[in-house]
Formats: sequence, C-alpha cells, structure tokens
Amino acid sequence: MMASVPTEYGLLLAGTLFALGLIGVLVRRNIVFILMSLEIMLNATGLAFVTAGARWAQADGQVMYLFILSMAAAEVAVGLALVLKLQRQFKTLDADAASRMHG
Amino acid sequence: MIRMTIDDLVALSPLLAIAAASVALMLVIAFYRDARAALVCALAGIALAFAMLPVAASKAPRQITQLLILDQYALFYLGLLFIAGFAVALLAHGYLGRLGGQLEEFYLVLLLATAGGAALVMSAHFVSFFLGLEILSVSLYVLIAYPRRSARGVEAGIKYLILAAASAAFLLFGMALIYAELGTMEFAQMASVMAGGDVRQELLLIGQAMIFVGVGFKLAVAPFHVWAPDVYEGAPAPVTAFIATVSKGAVFALLVRYFANLGYEVVQPFFPALAAIAVASMFVGNLLALAQTNVKRILAYSSIAHMGYLLVAFLAGGSLGATAVAFYLVAYFVTNLIAFGVVTILSGRREADEIEDYRGLFWRRPWLATTFLAALLSLGGIPLTAGFMGKFYVLMAGVESALWLLAVILVVNTMISFYYYLRVAFMMFRDAPEGEAAAIRPLPSFSFMGAAALALLMLLMVWMGVYPGPLVQTIRSMVAK
Repeated sequence: MMASVPTEYGLLLAGTLFALGLIGVLVRRNIVFILMSLEIMLNATGLAFVTAGARWAQADGQVMYLFILSMAAAEVAVGLALVLKLQRQFKTLDADAASRMHG
Repeated sequence: MIRMTIDDLVALSPLLAIAAASVALMLVIAFYRDARAALVCALAGIALAFAMLPVAASKAPRQITQLLILDQYALFYLGLLFIAGFAVALLAHGYLGRLGGQLEEFYLVLLLATAGGAALVMSAHFVSFFLGLEILSVSLYVLIAYPRRSARGVEAGIKYLILAAASAAFLLFGMALIYAELGTMEFAQMASVMAGGDVRQELLLIGQAMIFVGVGFKLAVAPFHVWAPDVYEGAPAPVTAFIATVSKGAVFALLVRYFANLGYEVVQPFFPALAAIAVASMFVGNLLALAQTNVKRILAYSSIAHMGYLLVAFLAGGSLGATAVAFYLVAYFVTNLIAFGVVTILSGRREADEIEDYRGLFWRRPWLATTFLAALLSLGGIPLTAGFMGKFYVLMAGVESALWLLAVILVVNTMISFYYYLRVAFMMFRDAPEGEAAAIRPLPSFSFMGAAALALLMLLMVWMGVYPGPLVQTIRSMVAK
C-alpha cells in the first residue's frame, strides 16, 4: 500500500495547471494554441475531480473525469471545424483577425 | 445500486422523446435530404416531448436516479423551453430557406440544444448540470456558425466557443472544489453535509464563486457580458432568439433550483457581490444600448439589463421571488421571441439588423411593424404588456424583501431603457427619404410559418399583459413552494 498523496497537493497542482491554461487562453493569439490552453484548463479540472474522488474513496470523481474527457473531445471537434472555417474566411489563424464587430 | 423502473422511464419520457426525435431526425437526414421533412420531424419531436409532459406529471415529484428530478418546477420550465424551441424552429424555416445550402442539420442541432436545456432544468446533481450545459453549449457553437458563407458567423462562433469553454472550465473547477470538501455532488445532500460542520469554508466559497463565474457567463451578466453583443450580432437571427431565451432561461432556472436546495444562507456571503452584478448589468446593458445602431446589438444589451432585473428577483428570494423569476422569464421569453422573430422574418441574404433597415417599416409592412412595436413596448415595460407585469412582480418581490436600493435602480434603468426602445419604434414610423426610396432593398417573401408563430406569440403576450391571473396561479402552484 503506497502512502496516498494529500488532497491539498492534488488540488494545488490542479489549480496551478488551471491558472497556466487560463494565462494561455488570455495571452496566446493563435487559435490552435488557444484551443490547446482550453484543453489544459479542462484537464486541470479533471485532475481536481480525481483528487477529490480519491479523498472520499468514491468512483464519482473518475466518472466525472470521463465525462469531462468526452465533452472536451466534442468541443475540440467543433472547435477545429471552426478553425478550418476561420482559415478559409480570413486566411489566417490569428484570433485578432476575426474581430470585425465592434460597438 | 441504481435501478430504473417503468415509473422512472415514464417520468423521463419528455427527455426520452426529444432524444429519440434527434436520433430519428439524424436517420431521416441520412436517407432523405429535405429541409421540409427535417422541419416536420423536429416540430413533431418537440410536440411529442410537450405532449409527454402531462404523462410525466402523473409521476411527479420523482427523483430519477441521483441525477435528475422531475417535479412541478421542472415540468413548468420544460413546457416553457419546448414552446420556445418550437417557435424558433418555425421562425427558422423561412429564414433558412432564403439562406440556401444544406439546412437539415440545423433542426437536428436545434433539437439537441433543446434537449440540453431540458436536462438542465431537470438536473439535481453536478454531473447532469454539467452534461446539460455542455450539450446546450456545443450545439450552440454549431448553430451560431451555421451559415457557411457568413464571416460574422465564424467570428461569433469562435468567440463564443473560447469564452464558453473557459467558463465551463471555471464551473467544473468550482464543482471539483465543492466535491472535494463535501464528498457529494447531489444538490439535495449538500445542505445537510454543510450543516454537519467540519468543512473548510474558504474552499467552499471559492468553489461557489467559480460556479457563479461559469453561470454568470452563460447569463451574460456584467462583467461577464462581453461576448453577448458580438455573438448576438454574428449569429443567425433565429439562433440569437434561441440564445436569448432557451439558453439563458434554462441556466437561470437551474441557478434558482441549486440555491433553493442549498439554502438561502449559502447566498448570504455573496449577497453584496451579486447585488453589484445586478446593478452593473442593469447600467451596463442600458447605457451601452443607447449608443448602438444595430438592432441585434441593442437587443443584446437590453437582454444584459433584463438579466440584471431577474437577479433582483433572485436576490429577493422566497416564494414571491420564485414567482417573480418565473413570470419574468415567461414574459422575457415571449417578448424576445417576438422581437427576434421580426428580425428573422425581415432578414434575407443579409441580416436586417441595422436600425436604418427599419426606417418607414410601418408604411410598408404595418402588421409586422405593429408586432415589433408591441415587443419593444413590452421589453420597456409599458403597462398592459407582458413586460410590465413581469417588472411589477420583480419590483414587488424586491420591495417585500426590503431591497430598496435595487428597486430604485431598477426603476431608473427602466426609464433609461425607454429611450433606445422608442428610438427603434420611432424609426418605423418615419418616411423613407426621397430618392433613397429605390435603394431600400426589397423585402423577403412572406413566410407563412414564421407569421403564424409570431401571431401566436403576440396573442400570448397580450394575454399575459391584460389578464395575467391564470398564469400567476399556475406559477404559484407549480414553481413557488
């Protein structure tokens, strides 16, 4: 039996990953990198759920992680389709190019 | 051990009907591509789900596994969502016909989005909360960017996708923190675990705050509103109607259920923050709407303000607050469907969303202009309209809970909002300027189904404004307990 990792450490790691992903979403301008940063944020939440599930010795956290995984996949599928449309319409992957509506 | 009985399946039948209709529609599209067949299939699916409500009601209230609950509250909002989904499908038909291209999948995604909203209002657990929200969101990404040649649609779709995914991550992280602290994801059990003590309040507070961020984004309340004007402008008009009504309504219904389960004390630490959000939403929405020249953007800012009004009712709490939220949501649904319905009917290959497009509309299309006028007056809250009754109940709830400052700010904001609603209204009565008359593009052909949907909604709105008694009775018996 291995010594278990304290819940706080897991949550801290997840929080750090979440913050890194959020910074990526805010700073990056290339749409593909923004999507990757979003994946990091979503996976950080998955890690937090697994950690929480481990604290209570329940499977719920892992079940939730599976849901997050499948939802992230669906989101990326639609996201990449939009990236293709963006490339076709604006001939660039720069997210700032797609910013013509103001007011 | 989870066991499903026949009774559970009967109680689930509205959700099952709409899910089955989605699968059936997918098969229809695979073998027989025809926009009309797809529309009929979608309408039949939503109508079937609606018809299943009384059947399901015979089993209410019932907890179906840990995830979903079917009670009077859920039944009420399910009915509202299905009616709105039906109306959007009807309105979309003529609009899509003018757009061209392959349109069948639009109805499929619309059905899925409605199913997501339905799952939201029935959810009693973080898992179903999250799944319902994501089914709704992912469907919306597709709907927003649906017209293939629209650059604005792609831009709006990408903006919505990035912000919605980020806010979903916030929501999930908040859920994870709460689960880590409480060890349960069921709404109904959280209150008792919290009362048991020995939980770290800080983690819970951060968790609830993150859930608020996620939900606040969906509702487009200030300061999470930045996406709303661009997405409203870029999305096809019927989809904008769907975002304004079904997406926001389902999330708000869930918010009220969540905090009703947790108990009012949980909201207390957030009361100043939530009140600030409500005030900010009202002012941001109404003040920024003044400067807009695009009708869809005006309606976007107006809906930000309306979410602020709704938050006042939410903060008032109690059964009067729940009544006010429900009545206001119904009035808001009907009025917004009419307003965006008029924009939809006027839109052809180009969206009819510039305020100049409405110059002299009354002299060209009197019925349509009158309908739009009624919707604008109802959004503003002129007496004898549904919007007035909604605001009246919100104010009553606010005053009953002694939220004087919020009530006063609400009244002030209502007055500000008249300016931009009436600006659009006056534009419809102006004559088209000489010489430019020929430049006004021809109006798209008459869409029978769109007009029928508008006429029905219009009847509903007038009825709610003039004789709200029966609806209030229904809400009291179903929602407020």
